Amino acid sequence: MINIKYYHNKDVIVREIEGEYLMIPIASGIGDMEDEMYTLNETGIAVWEKLSPEKTLENIINELCEEYSADRNEIETDVIGLIDELYKRNIVLYKK
Amino acid sequence: MAEPDNIKSITLPDSDLVKKLQKTTTPVSINFELTARCNNNCRHCFINLPQNDRNAESSELSIKEIENLADQAVEKGVLWCLITGGEPLLRNDFSEIYLMLRRKGLLVSVFTNACLINQSHIDLFKKYKPRELEVTVYGIAEKTYEKVTGIKGSYKQFRAGLDLLLSNNVPVSLKAMAIHSNVHEIEEIAEFCTKYSKKKFKFDPFLHKRYDQDAKRNKLIESERLTKDEIVRIEHNNFARKNALIEGCEHLIFDQDIDSLGRVFTCGILKSGFEISYDGKLRLCSSLLHPDYVRDLRQMSLMDAYNGIAKNVINARSDNKEFLNKCSKCKIINLCYFCPANSYLETGKLDIPVDYFCKNAHARQEAILEWKKSSELP
Repeated sequence: MINIKYYHNKDVIVREIEGEYLMIPIASGIGDMEDEMYTLNETGIAVWEKLSPEKTLENIINELCEEYSADRNEIETDVIGLIDELYKRNIVLYKK
Repeated sequence: MAEPDNIKSITLPDSDLVKKLQKTTTPVSINFELTARCNNNCRHCFINLPQNDRNAESSELSIKEIENLADQAVEKGVLWCLITGGEPLLRNDFSEIYLMLRRKGLLVSVFTNACLINQSHIDLFKKYKPRELEVTVYGIAEKTYEKVTGIKGSYKQFRAGLDLLLSNNVPVSLKAMAIHSNVHEIEEIAEFCTKYSKKKFKFDPFLHKRYDQDAKRNKLIESERLTKDEIVRIEHNNFARKNALIEGCEHLIFDQDIDSLGRVFTCGILKSGFEISYDGKLRLCSSLLHPDYVRDLRQMSLMDAYNGIAKNVINARSDNKEFLNKCSKCKIINLCYFCPANSYLETGKLDIPVDYFCKNAHARQEAILEWKKSSELP
């Protein structure tokens, strides 16, 4: 998994409103419940902002390790857990 | 689905975000009246111009202008957006506008008469679901429907459009205007709407006058207005409406007179929404057309326009004794159709009591209190 390049689904619009980082699905198949959207916490935002079709998860984990003083295993677990959830919900896609 | 700590799903309207937005001082919604033109010619309508009105069409905002306004609204944290008209589907670029607004992260609703719905709209709405798709039902019988719309063949178009939406599982909310031309079948309309509507059926018996102040059309609107007794009767006959009025009684009928300190505006107009007319004018309430409360967005930014209007709203005071002695302190003002916008449309001034509204409100007050009393009997 950490060798995969994940990127944002363009049918999820990210907005910051009233201090909340909102992910607003606009297409069917993502958050299909009425008015369903997602919020990210600070760690989630840091990961989300680094996602790119040019970067593997390993690249992202390395960058986060340089920026934050947390333990590498902890960062890796956080990143993989988040990406897993985002992928299940179709919020991120991966480059084949 | 279990969620890790760093992602959380929320649903409006019960989220903390909505509570925060309710506390903001500026609007959180933007309404685009894409066109004043309509394929129907409804007798009671306050805006409709002929669909081939080239003058009206040439003054409509372009998609670029709409995008620029949407960007300004999004920047201010606006979350909700309504596309309305006229009939918005008359715009050839409707789909592009709709998708552009969705891509801004706005939660977009659409008001339409459904007559022009085609397969490409279905494909669009299936892939990019609107938050709400509200369709007005003018009648159940072809004759009634077309008496209201004034267009032969419109009923078949409406049924075809609605069928296309329903058969493709595009959820619609159905609603009605209750007017003289259809009041004889309002209960059948309610039954039809309840059967097919995603949300509770709602109807509106209150007609306001035209934005263009066309005297002949205003006479027609007056002729379509229900009497106070008819309004009370249809509210009585609609279980949900009657119950809501009984339950909301204490907010609709206060125990004693209120003191508005001579303020002209006592509604929530400053928060109600950015209302953008088809030709690029900002209003804070779609029917508030007094020039002191309208700004041209082709000449200034959204927030400059908003601030200019807001200042006038806050400072507006009445010196009309009749208004100050009646509406300004009226304990059933929340039951009344009176507001400065409607007063202006009726009388040309913001603070003149309107006899028709007043009589309706008093008749409804009497009825609601009686219903409430009966509902409390053991």
